[in-house]
Amino acid sequence: MSALVTVDPLVLAPALAPAVGVVLVLLGDALLPRRGGGRWALPAAAAVLVVGAVAAATGPLRAGGATLRTLCLPAPDGACLWTADPRTSALQTGVLLAAAAALAVRHDGRPRPRDGAVTATLLLAATTGGVAVAAARDLGSWLVALELATVPAVALVALRGTRPAAHAALSLLVTSLVSFALLVLGAALWLTATGDAAFASDTAGLAWTDPQRRAVLVLALVVLVAGLGFKLSLVPFHAWTPQAYAHADLGTALFLAAASKLSAAAALLVPVSALAGAQIGGLAPTAVLAAPALASLGLGTVVALRQRDPARLLAWSTVAQAGWVLVPLTAPTAEGLRASAAYVLVYATATTVAFAALARTGARSLEDHRGLVRRDPLAGGALALALLVLAGLPPGVVGLVVKVLALAPPVAAGLWPVALVGVLAVVVGLAVYLRWFAVLLAPAPDEGGARPARPRSTAVVLVLGTAVLALTSALPHLLLGSLG
Amino acid sequence: MTPWVLVGVPALAALVGLAVRADDRVARFAAVAPGGFTLLVAVVGWAEADGSTLTEGPGLRAGALAVPLDLVLDPTRAALATVVVLVALAVQVYSTWYLATDDRYGQFAATVSLFTAAMLLVVLSADLVLTLVGWEVMGWCSYLLVGHWSRRPFARRAALKAFLVTRVADVGVVLAFVGLAAGATSTSIPDVVSAWVQPTDCIDAALGQGLYPSEAFAACSAPDGRLRAVLLVLLVVGVLGKSAQVPFQDWLADAMEGPTPASALIHAATMVAAGTVVLGSLYPALADSPTARWVLGVAVSVTMLFAALLAFAQSDLKRMLAWSTVSQVAVVLSAVAAAPPEAGPDAGLLHLFAHALFKSLLFLAIGWAALAAGDTAATALRGSAGAAPVLRSAFLVGFLSLAGVPLVVVGGLSKENVLAVSWDGAVGSDGPGVLVLVALVVTSAVTAAYSVRGYLVLTAHVRRAPSAAGVTAAVRAVLWTLAGLTVLGGLVVLTGAFTVEPMSPLWVLLSVLVIGVGVAVALRGGLDRDPAEVLARRLTPAADRGLGADLLYRRLVARPVLRLARVVAFVDTEVVDGYVRAAAVGTRAAGWAGDRLHRGERPSAGVGLVLAAVVLLGLAGVLAWS
Repeated sequence: MSALVTVDPLVLAPALAPAVGVVLVLLGDALLPRRGGGRWALPAAAAVLVVGAVAAATGPLRAGGATLRTLCLPAPDGACLWTADPRTSALQTGVLLAAAAALAVRHDGRPRPRDGAVTATLLLAATTGGVAVAAARDLGSWLVALELATVPAVALVALRGTRPAAHAALSLLVTSLVSFALLVLGAALWLTATGDAAFASDTAGLAWTDPQRRAVLVLALVVLVAGLGFKLSLVPFHAWTPQAYAHADLGTALFLAAASKLSAAAALLVPVSALAGAQIGGLAPTAVLAAPALASLGLGTVVALRQRDPARLLAWSTVAQAGWVLVPLTAPTAEGLRASAAYVLVYATATTVAFAALARTGARSLEDHRGLVRRDPLAGGALALALLVLAGLPPGVVGLVVKVLALAPPVAAGLWPVALVGVLAVVVGLAVYLRWFAVLLAPAPDEGGARPARPRSTAVVLVLGTAVLALTSALPHLLLGSLG
Repeated sequence: MTPWVLVGVPALAALVGLAVRADDRVARFAAVAPGGFTLLVAVVGWAEADGSTLTEGPGLRAGALAVPLDLVLDPTRAALATVVVLVALAVQVYSTWYLATDDRYGQFAATVSLFTAAMLLVVLSADLVLTLVGWEVMGWCSYLLVGHWSRRPFARRAALKAFLVTRVADVGVVLAFVGLAAGATSTSIPDVVSAWVQPTDCIDAALGQGLYPSEAFAACSAPDGRLRAVLLVLLVVGVLGKSAQVPFQDWLADAMEGPTPASALIHAATMVAAGTVVLGSLYPALADSPTARWVLGVAVSVTMLFAALLAFAQSDLKRMLAWSTVSQVAVVLSAVAAAPPEAGPDAGLLHLFAHALFKSLLFLAIGWAALAAGDTAATALRGSAGAAPVLRSAFLVGFLSLAGVPLVVVGGLSKENVLAVSWDGAVGSDGPGVLVLVALVVTSAVTAAYSVRGYLVLTAHVRRAPSAAGVTAAVRAVLWTLAGLTVLGGLVVLTGAFTVEPMSPLWVLLSVLVIGVGVAVALRGGLDRDPAEVLARRLTPAADRGLGADLLYRRLVARPVLRLARVVAFVDTEVVDGYVRAAAVGTRAAGWAGDRLHRGERPSAGVGLVLAAVVLLGLAGVLAWS
């Protein structure tokens, strides 16, 4: 091997595209600061993201379904810093497209001209981190990528410049710092337990056989889940979520709800897949994953039932859905990992559509949506389908399919309490989403005043998101097949 | 192929009729033309029928259960199918005149076509599933036909009553069919029969070899006699409901609220006859179950006499015909109940054939007379047969037939046959023959009496006979044809469609005697007075109410069921829903509490939560370690 590290730019393209985009946007802003009122940055960034998404989506096709590897070290054999199997590629595609959708919504929100380049840079940087963390297998890249995915989001929330936004950003910053500390601690414990600077199945399996090291490994898992719990909005690390969603602009909220959750789930799947590969099971890992999952399901669903502000309702729904992402992992198996990835992808698509519809209507309460299906069939219909998918009701069949898939691993492993809480959460969740859904179908009030502007790029997001939901509802195996 | 054509053409006609119901002329054509074609097919099928031919259907398998969906055609079924199609065609032709001004004629004609298809399905079915389909479609169609004039509250109530009463009894049919099919692991009627009959020869041979009876039964895999009795009693219950026998008798008289052609169809050839056809097709199994035969025998013996007495005392002549139907169907069923096993159900089926002809004639004729006279009460109808010569002939032939005057017309011949067969049953087997025979003899006298009454009232001399304006030639032709067939229909025995034993002249003599007694009693008041006024003035008001059976239904069935429903509803809303509502309240309260907890939204709160969680998780980790 001639070089120290092999580099395959095509494999790295999903992360390289947004990184190159950051450089381009900064260069462009430095050279032509006032060009086009500063509004060119967001479309350019979105185009870069779409290019990256295409690269990520076509990766498995190019490799014929095999795992893509690059940045491989000469020794030990097969230690590659970038390892992307089809599941990872699907999650990366999701992150990139969700970030593009966030940019589109943000574009229609008419940001101040000087914010354009900053927003684009921050979003691209966070996306780079989110894409990289999914493919990272060593502790160093994983930690750096995860932090890169988090910190720009704090700035995005603060960028709005209002007092509540600053409070929300501060809350986000403080919790993210604590969580980063936890993640570093967790990584250190993992290294202590396994003696390996990567999340690998074989070393984890060896550590599991030794009782002393097993305890350290369990503690590492505990601290890692706690650290990631912040990013996933798991109870009790969720407090920032409703605040940030409600006070940030809707594009940022969309990014936090969709892209950020996708990258967090991808990050969580890395250590859990190491456990699953070593067939590590038993009470301790299950309890560590099940406790926050059940608490999130319960609290998120129940509090969402009381919300009147749609953004806050979606925030609490995020908390509940994060619990759902964890449910299949309580029995760490290959099926569980797949179900978790499928769930988070479907959730991110539905929540993207919901936020885009919210941005299009500009409504600040559920009542403002009265009769939306008749007043604005595009936004109303898309929102109705997204809510049905989140609730898991036909015709949003794909929501039901991923819920069934998510419950299958715990049921197969005999974890009945998890399945029971899941079923209860489905029941209460129906009430949560149907409360909003019913308002959409209600007779429209007499309209006074001018119709709000109908932004174009949000409409594109709505149409594409609805098409994805409808297509996967009709043919769910399209989604499941793409996960390997 | 013929059986599927027979069932399919009227069914198709019903669909087409429904599609073209808006245009009366097209609807008339869509009703009458397929009827004529079906009649042609039925006659040809009858002429060609030679032994039993099975037409295989689209066989299905449901687990271990075979569902062949076959139809079968033999001379007896062909004869019954022909009379069903004939009566249906007569009704369709008659309706084109009778309901000419009705705004819902199209729906009526389509329903009659569907009704015909359902009855033909029952007649020709060799599969319990098809029988059940036809059976239930008939129940639904009778609801539609009885309630045709749905703007009248009485018609709505009568339709609902007919539907509810027959539905309640249908529970028995469904249970019986399920049990019989489960025992045979097939719904094919020949398979069901062979699975449930007593293998007598095998048992006799085994007993001859010196086995004990229980061993002999086991060796021949004889069916469980007790289970067979239960299932057949359930089937008999369903038949009693459909045929309006005691205790389900009251719906049929109320069904007179429907248009007269519908009454003719329900009473003559379809609904009430279906039970006999089903029992006839399962006859070998029924013959082996004395319990079921006794239940049937007792019910029909009570019914035939009870209904005949009520018929005599009715103040309304159309209701008199309705009660006479109840009584005559009881006579038909009594032949099935009491006949000795080797005689088979043919005596009953022959009387069914005869009854279909003369009862449709009587109903169509009285519908015309009532339209001329303006009402169906005996006082209004007095002398209304003077409206047309055909009416006079129709009533003469019809009532002679109903009275069972021997060997003159079709009804007499078949009734003597029933008598002879039940005598054979009474002397020869363990069935309810004696009881049935006594009831038959008394009923014959009463039937003769009310037949005389009906004829006297309708043909009495009045000063101004009602006119018969606007009656079409087709209707006259229908009545003449039916009257002719009523006279000549007895010749059907020569075709060999029904197995009839040669009859002793003694029975003819006995019949003449009994009928003579009935006629003599009816004529006590002279030729000019209504015999019911002379003999049964006190009974008439009670008879008009069916002896309060409606009240009894309400007291004994409707009220307890409603009370039970109220109790169940109370338990549901107050007890079961209580838990559901409490769950909702609890969930909302939990949501409120969670919302309150997060109202602060200070960064410190979030950090506090995170730190608390870390401490907890750390504790858990340390505990796990130690």
